Amino acid sequence: MLRLANVAHAYGDVVSLRGLSLDLSPGEILCLLGPSGCGKTTLLRIIAGLEGDYSGEIRLDGADIRPVPVHQRGFGLMFQDYALFPHMSVRENIAYGLKRRGDRRRDIKRQVDALLERVGLAGLGPRDVAALSGGQKQRVALARSLAPNPRLLMLDEPLGSLDAQLRDQLALELRKLLKETGIGAIYVTHDRREAYAVADRIAVMDAGSIQQCDSPRQLYHKPANAHVARFLGLRNLYARAENARALQLAEQARALRNATQYILIHPRGISLDGLASAPAAEFEATLLAAVFRGEAWDIRLRLDGDLHLSCSTSELPTQIGKPVRVFVALEAVLALDE
Amino acid sequence: MRTWLSRSGYALYLLPLLFLGIFFLYPLLAIFDISLRPDGALDLSAFGRLVASDYYIEVLLFTCWQAALSTALTLLLATPCAFVFARYRFAGKSLLLSLATLPFVLPTVVVALAFASLTGKSGILNSLLRALFSLDYTPIQLERTLAIIIIAHVFYNFAIALRIMTGYWASVGFETEEAARCLGADAWSVWRDIRLPLIRPALLSAGILVFIFCFTSFGVVLILGGIRFATLEVQIYYQAVNIFNLPLAAALSIVQILSMLALMTIYTRQQRNLQLRLASSATIARAPRTAAEKVAVASCVALISLLLLSPLLALLARAVLLGGQVDLSNFLALAEKSRGSLLFIAPLEAIVNSLRFALLAMTAALLLGVIAASMIHRRGRLARFWDPLFMLPLATSAVTLGFGFIVALDEPPLNLRASWLIIPVSHTLVALPFVIRSVLPAMRAIPPSLGEAGRVLGAKPHQKLLSIDAPLLGRSIAVGATFAFTVSMGEFGASLFVAQRESVTMPVVIYRLLGDPGLASYRQSLAMSVLLMLVCAGGFMLIERLRAAGLGEF
Repeated sequence: MLRLANVAHAYGDVVSLRGLSLDLSPGEILCLLGPSGCGKTTLLRIIAGLEGDYSGEIRLDGADIRPVPVHQRGFGLMFQDYALFPHMSVRENIAYGLKRRGDRRRDIKRQVDALLERVGLAGLGPRDVAALSGGQKQRVALARSLAPNPRLLMLDEPLGSLDAQLRDQLALELRKLLKETGIGAIYVTHDRREAYAVADRIAVMDAGSIQQCDSPRQLYHKPANAHVARFLGLRNLYARAENARALQLAEQARALRNATQYILIHPRGISLDGLASAPAAEFEATLLAAVFRGEAWDIRLRLDGDLHLSCSTSELPTQIGKPVRVFVALEAVLALDE
Repeated sequence: MRTWLSRSGYALYLLPLLFLGIFFLYPLLAIFDISLRPDGALDLSAFGRLVASDYYIEVLLFTCWQAALSTALTLLLATPCAFVFARYRFAGKSLLLSLATLPFVLPTVVVALAFASLTGKSGILNSLLRALFSLDYTPIQLERTLAIIIIAHVFYNFAIALRIMTGYWASVGFETEEAARCLGADAWSVWRDIRLPLIRPALLSAGILVFIFCFTSFGVVLILGGIRFATLEVQIYYQAVNIFNLPLAAALSIVQILSMLALMTIYTRQQRNLQLRLASSATIARAPRTAAEKVAVASCVALISLLLLSPLLALLARAVLLGGQVDLSNFLALAEKSRGSLLFIAPLEAIVNSLRFALLAMTAALLLGVIAASMIHRRGRLARFWDPLFMLPLATSAVTLGFGFIVALDEPPLNLRASWLIIPVSHTLVALPFVIRSVLPAMRAIPPSLGEAGRVLGAKPHQKLLSIDAPLLGRSIAVGATFAFTVSMGEFGASLFVAQRESVTMPVVIYRLLGDPGLASYRQSLAMSVLLMLVCAGGFMLIERLRAAGLGEF
């Protein structure tokens, strides 16, 4: 539906986007995941039409939309701080896009009522937006951007200014709502947990380009390069030249290529009970450290050849400094480039 | 030690209160007295005449009308410029903002003369147009019209409106208007639905302030408009000095005082509202990108340069150019009194007078201002009360002050009428609010923990004052001092009332010279205006340089 090709942009001398390409299918939720300053917001603003100086192509259903001004694109954009109109009530905020579209007053009232109901704010229409809580503001902003039935909805860190608990809950609600409306969405976030929860596909961005674009599961299991692995917080990443023991393990797993620079021993393939179904290598290790995280223990092990491994386990197998047996599934040993 | 210091501290507090009581409240009371009881018994006939006469109703209406027109035009021009300033980054922006603020410190006589130099009958524009198109008539005839008064008011107040609105706009940010555009708003809808409603508090605040300034404008109306366009201010002066109808002048003064009181009340209320809604925003100005944006920036720069710089340059050109050559004889002529002049001294002596009075007024205003600021700063039941009290002189027109002086301080126990001291005293009164407004924010910005830390480390109260407070306040005190000096140099309304033959100041001399017949006097007034302009511009640059970003409330 939406297709970007070779989009590049710079703020003066600072390059913010280096020729990236992207496809969005109808009804799909695509997450742009990356650290702050990686260009994800700029990309949203370019798609919305708010940023002018860029090169590359943007097509919607095959039509070039570059010359179309912002207000005629029919895209929804939800801002990070919501950008609610402070001088209007909740109802007026939501109705604004409908008014600009020229809907009749009675239709507007009906649609706004339906939207308020849908985002769980029924009855709050006359409220002043300044009097709302963070979560309520977020819902108003969502309802406002959904109101004119946009062809595409863009959300810039929509849960960024909420506390963690509310964020988890709203992320699920948001996905449900987007799927119900069937509107294609581009969702910008720097929080990988949020991206996993919301996205059909995740595009990991760094320094103005897309490093990998895959389903959440595929992304987590098979990070395309060391950069993505680091950003996803995957531990046990070793430089090829640095750790001979890891190299040996990679050779055993037949994962190694000539160009390989890094070896990742994915934490999901490390177990202490040997019940892994796939072929696994077995080691004698020492338990170095353990941190209790509530749902599990984070532990750190030392193998012979000075290979340190981190993983999670539900029960602490032994005391610190004592030996323990460790199994590494070979399919979880990945060779990565930078 | 401690009790001694705090006791003498309270004694110090009496100083500004006494000063205000004797030189501000007492003259105001005298005005009330003379208008309500001209012959010792209650007599409301002066007021009766005011109400009965259509003329004075018209004066009041005209005062409001010209102020409203000036305010509307100022806001109309300043609003788009404020948007450009808040939204875009461009070379020379801060310089331009500084330049735009320059008129704020320029004496009214200088500004009036600058506009006369630009648009007057033999002004630069007319000479240029006549030469270009070989006309034998005067193409631009603005002398003694409402238009020139209003243009001069816009010149004066443009920067005030620009600064208030630019700051507010930057704090409101531009996200909401982007949100509106995404929701389908075109350029016109964005202005109507988002931009203007959002900056409404700033628009109101700037509007009221500009209205107040135009309502009390004296020099501009007197010199550019003449008696035909009499506002309340001009009428007070005319009744008191030309006709010597003191009861009527006093009655007019009371109308003026009450109007100002009402306006200031509205303004402070609006100001509180404005500060409530000021929130920080991450949006920063960006470079203009599209052709339309670049045109907007360029026209804003052009408008400000044209409006603000052209009159000042015209004044400069008229003063230093003679027959197309740079010629400083106008300045040399200041040393002598031209023949037939109504002046009693050579213009040069007025410069000496002005400098002397300004130094005196600066010293007094600093002393009283710092004490008053610490009174306001000190939290207590009375502090709330001090702030508006010390701001009152600012809200009172200079003409009313001057008039109060001549009716109140002309007999024992305080007969200053014939003394030159009356001038620096009146200037101190006018400069006092400026000093307080410069020092107070700096005082409030010093965290109490600093002083407490000093005390814990063993500093005695006076040591704390000298080693902690004084260095931190130094800069703002310098700003206040420069303000006081500049305000005193340019003060016109009060000086015109109280200045004696030998104690006239530069602005008064310029005004008198304008009234003198002959080209020589006119040239002297041009030269004098240029000197005054340079002094005030120098003071202004010093203030801009000294002022730490965001400090000071002017």
